[in-house]
Amino acid sequence: MNHASDRLWRSLEEAGGNADFIARVSQEFPNLAASLAAPIDRRRALKLMAASLLMNGLPGCDSKLSENLIPAVRVPSNIVPALQNSYATAHVLGGYATGIVVSHYMGRPVKVAGNPHHPASLGAIDAFAQASLLNFYDPDRAAEIAHRGIPAARADFETALAAQRLSLGADRGAGLRILTGTVTSPTLIAQIRALLEQYPRAQWTQWEPISRDAVMQGAQLAYGRPLELIPRLEQADILVAIDSDLLCSAPGRLRYAREFAQRRNPNRTHAMSRIYAIEPTPTLLGSVADHRFIAGPAQLAHILVALAAGIVDGASAPDPARSLPDWIVPLLEDMKGARGRILVHVGASQPAELHALAHAINDALGGRGVSFDLIEPVSNAGSAGQPLRSLIAEMQSGRVQNLLIIDSNPLYSAPAAWNFEEALRQVSFSVALAQHPDETAQAAAWFVPQTHDWETWSDARAFDGTASILQPQALPLYDGLGAVEMLELYRAPAARSAEQVVRGTWKRQFGDGFDAAWHESLATGVVPDTACAKSGARLRALPAQLNSSAPINDDAALTVLLRPDPSLWDGRFANNPWLQELPRPLTKLVWDNPLLIAPALAARLHLENGDLARVTVARSSVTAPVWIMPGQAPECITAWLGSGRRAAGSIGDGQGIDYYPLTQLPGAATLQKQPGHVRLASTVHHNLLLAASQEVLRHGTLSDYLAHPGVASTAQPEPHIYRTAPPGAAAWAMSIDLNACIGCNACIVACQAENNISVVGKDQVLAEREMHWLRIDRYFAGDPDAPESFFQPVLCMHCEQAPCENVCPVGATVHDSEGLNVMVYNRCVGTRFCSNNCPYKVRRFNFLPYAREQHRPPQSWNPDVTVRVRGVMEKCSYCVQRIAEARIAADRESRPIGAVRTACQSACPTRAFTFGNSADPDSEVARRKSSPLNFSMLERQGTAPRTTYEALIRNPNPAIGAGRKAPPS
Amino acid sequence: MAAIFGPAANLASKVVLLAVAGAVCVGFLFWWFWPTSDYARHVGAMVVQPVPFSHRHHVAGLGIDCRFCHSSVEVSANAGMPPTFTCMTCHSQIWTNASLLAPVRHSLSANTPIAWRRVTDLPDYVYFNHSIHIAKGVGCQSCHGPVEAMPLTYKAKALSMEFCLDCHRNPGPKLRPRSALYDTEWRSTPATPGAAALLAAYHVPDRNLTDCSLCHR
Repeated sequence: MNHASDRLWRSLEEAGGNADFIARVSQEFPNLAASLAAPIDRRRALKLMAASLLMNGLPGCDSKLSENLIPAVRVPSNIVPALQNSYATAHVLGGYATGIVVSHYMGRPVKVAGNPHHPASLGAIDAFAQASLLNFYDPDRAAEIAHRGIPAARADFETALAAQRLSLGADRGAGLRILTGTVTSPTLIAQIRALLEQYPRAQWTQWEPISRDAVMQGAQLAYGRPLELIPRLEQADILVAIDSDLLCSAPGRLRYAREFAQRRNPNRTHAMSRIYAIEPTPTLLGSVADHRFIAGPAQLAHILVALAAGIVDGASAPDPARSLPDWIVPLLEDMKGARGRILVHVGASQPAELHALAHAINDALGGRGVSFDLIEPVSNAGSAGQPLRSLIAEMQSGRVQNLLIIDSNPLYSAPAAWNFEEALRQVSFSVALAQHPDETAQAAAWFVPQTHDWETWSDARAFDGTASILQPQALPLYDGLGAVEMLELYRAPAARSAEQVVRGTWKRQFGDGFDAAWHESLATGVVPDTACAKSGARLRALPAQLNSSAPINDDAALTVLLRPDPSLWDGRFANNPWLQELPRPLTKLVWDNPLLIAPALAARLHLENGDLARVTVARSSVTAPVWIMPGQAPECITAWLGSGRRAAGSIGDGQGIDYYPLTQLPGAATLQKQPGHVRLASTVHHNLLLAASQEVLRHGTLSDYLAHPGVASTAQPEPHIYRTAPPGAAAWAMSIDLNACIGCNACIVACQAENNISVVGKDQVLAEREMHWLRIDRYFAGDPDAPESFFQPVLCMHCEQAPCENVCPVGATVHDSEGLNVMVYNRCVGTRFCSNNCPYKVRRFNFLPYAREQHRPPQSWNPDVTVRVRGVMEKCSYCVQRIAEARIAADRESRPIGAVRTACQSACPTRAFTFGNSADPDSEVARRKSSPLNFSMLERQGTAPRTTYEALIRNPNPAIGAGRKAPPS
Repeated sequence: MAAIFGPAANLASKVVLLAVAGAVCVGFLFWWFWPTSDYARHVGAMVVQPVPFSHRHHVAGLGIDCRFCHSSVEVSANAGMPPTFTCMTCHSQIWTNASLLAPVRHSLSANTPIAWRRVTDLPDYVYFNHSIHIAKGVGCQSCHGPVEAMPLTYKAKALSMEFCLDCHRNPGPKLRPRSALYDTEWRSTPATPGAAALLAAYHVPDRNLTDCSLCHR
């Protein structure tokens, strides 16, 4: 099925066949290269061995210190030792909620999963929400109120606030300003409105560094009012994604991912959808699209105008002086053919004019109510209140005496040219409510520690308006105030508790049946019937000048695309070690955020990965290393926001580069090579499988598949003299659908949280010692300037003929009767023979006592999984603890074992993973394994893996060239 | 030149060589047998507790069921330790002024838990589950010994991996009828159902009970 020309490669070095590179990655122990390069003499080796015996061997002989059993004085209801409790709440990012369920042991939160009842989750969860566990336990969180850097008592703060209330009352709040992120919480909105009524001259600013203002303004242009577009991807035959953030950063992305996947596996869907992505820098949606076309901002606007001209009556023609790519004509044909079942989606980082054009195209193609809906906006950020810019101007002019900043960090993330820092000094009474003593909190007069969302009451709304009540998951670890409590304190001295305020909000909503509705909403995590109404707004005729007036830059000039970091968002997760070390989906970079540049630009400036370059926009410049990104538009440089924090905490401080100084600047950018080189940690070459592409990842097109459905599947296994199936009643197995995988990394964090996997730090990643049990290999194929891309999750295959088991001298890795390749940590002596013999390279070794050095308290570990020590091998166990739990529950009642879901499976938004008992023909995994797309990785090794894949099928438009991802004209 | 070694050196060298050989032998025997000895495993060693709680008095004397205090033994991996409140259900009525019980009263009044010292402590990489053993007919005494006869609680069995595997390889003979699970005076009689009958009655699955993954995760 793979074509001979489709050699898969992970990096440009590999694509180019760089001899040094091949020599380096094909050596036996790449992760020992550094150590082996510095030979040790015999005397030193003996000294080290003796020291190891003394330091590590002998203390092991010590009999263990006796531990205590500490029962409660009074047992809280529902808490049973060693049993889990789960409570629903929501994770709020950029104002939008995603339903989550937090699992607790003995009252300690240890794991976060998605909430199946919640429309934005449907049971799935993203990396951010899972990693918020570490934010909750973060030892760097602030514990004390500070006044100008000096610890103060809460009474001092309340006294100062009382004086402020007096002066605010005198001038009706003329000097009061409130600065928040995007707020969708009904309670917070009601509180702020009440505060604005109490002080009518006060003002409220909502500001997010990762703004969705353009989306609202686009709807304003097209429909005369702000509206949200809700895609219905399971209904869309064709999706035209213009620099779309649907799968990576749009609110509701987990739901969109689920809907996307429903139309992607030709063996299960009635008709595959077709996805065209036109974008300047690779996104997740672009990477899984059937056609990905590269276009810089100017070309993008030109193409959209051309599409509008072909579809919308009365739209003006594109600028004839500019050429159009030749795929425009077949694309237009395809779009018109799918009338009523098509969606054009524009990403939030594109200007409002393009959003308006897309609205016009969507309206003309008649998909409304089928492939998308328009609903009333969930938030009024961007369309109401005072913009940050004018707030800063007022602060500078001394008109602001009292500034309340809630969970916002403008000193770090506001455009540097606006000079928030200077403006803040002019405010006599500024209060920053934040979890960490961050950049803004340190500069404000008062810093009040904010409680984590899991320690207080609140509420928030999802992408479609559905409200959730956020309930506390634990008593506060540190003293602090929630946003609700702070606003309450601003209004009156005898403040109500957050719970009373939130109850009050919903009492008005629920009316008589309050108690039942309240408990129902808390239990399910969703307040029923709160979704925003569908809008009946009609499209206005587009103003004539709009059709051609999209902001167009000169093509030769460079543009800097400032995007949220795939793992750190706007920087608020910078102190989270799981997210810092999460390989970014397309670059596999960790702990770093270099400038992403196209191969052509790199060649022009003689830049290589890690070389320093200075990017300058309007006299503001940043020097940063570069990373060559295949598929990037040559006229665009992508910079991820969110790194280079100055006061994030001990993990995030100084990691990476801060690109916020480049935000909101007009004009073109320039890039100059600088002397110097930085070693960037990317896992892209780690665990390289030196095998034919066909053996690793199979893919093809829909027409190939329809002609020969079984062409990708595994042939009948060759006879094998040793092959005996394990005798157990259950045969645990996994199937991974490559058609569904979007590379979003939710599974990696799920695995890390569930299985107590350590973070190792940048230096250890550079030495190829990262510990993730599950990795997502990203491959490219074709033209390095515009390659096709592929994602492949790889974890332990649980081979029936496991090569690792044969070479273990101590029987530390063995098969159990149900087919699990189990790792017995307490037997392992660390020879690493198993890892060396593993053809899939899925085994991880504790070179150092990583677990002891984690930035998290011991109570945050999952108590169901052993924490591994130095010198021990580890790898995916198919979540054996979950199997054991299900088995014990089933055996206790003498019934057959039911479904078991692994951590990666339950997190996955697209249901790419299926796990279960393949001996049961009715199980989902058995059905998927009988798919004609089923294949085993490295099949010719004869390992009979229990983990198999479904080959990737794409649905390109036959009218658009043989080169499926041809670059634009 | 005078001899370096005098006549006594012969004896001395022999003594030294023998001593070295002996030390090696003793060292080996110590290394081999010490860790598996009952002494090293603290078998039979009474543990000093903050309150000298007597199972003999409460169980054999008063007839309190194991589950009155260890209440989660049938549902959870952990049998559970009684909260102070459980002690005080009775001791707020009887022995209200006993000095031995002062730590219990203090715990309730000051809302500070009592830190009981562990008597049995499995390694952290072993995941033992009480509920499944109870559900499949393993009585408390099979692992904990004659707790009802202990004035101060001690570890009665080695609880080594060998101890676990002895039973996991052939569980039938160790099972009790359901009525006898918590009966401290129960002894096997000729009338007791046989191993095969008990295995069938408890639906003990015909599965390999010695898989590593059963206890180690």
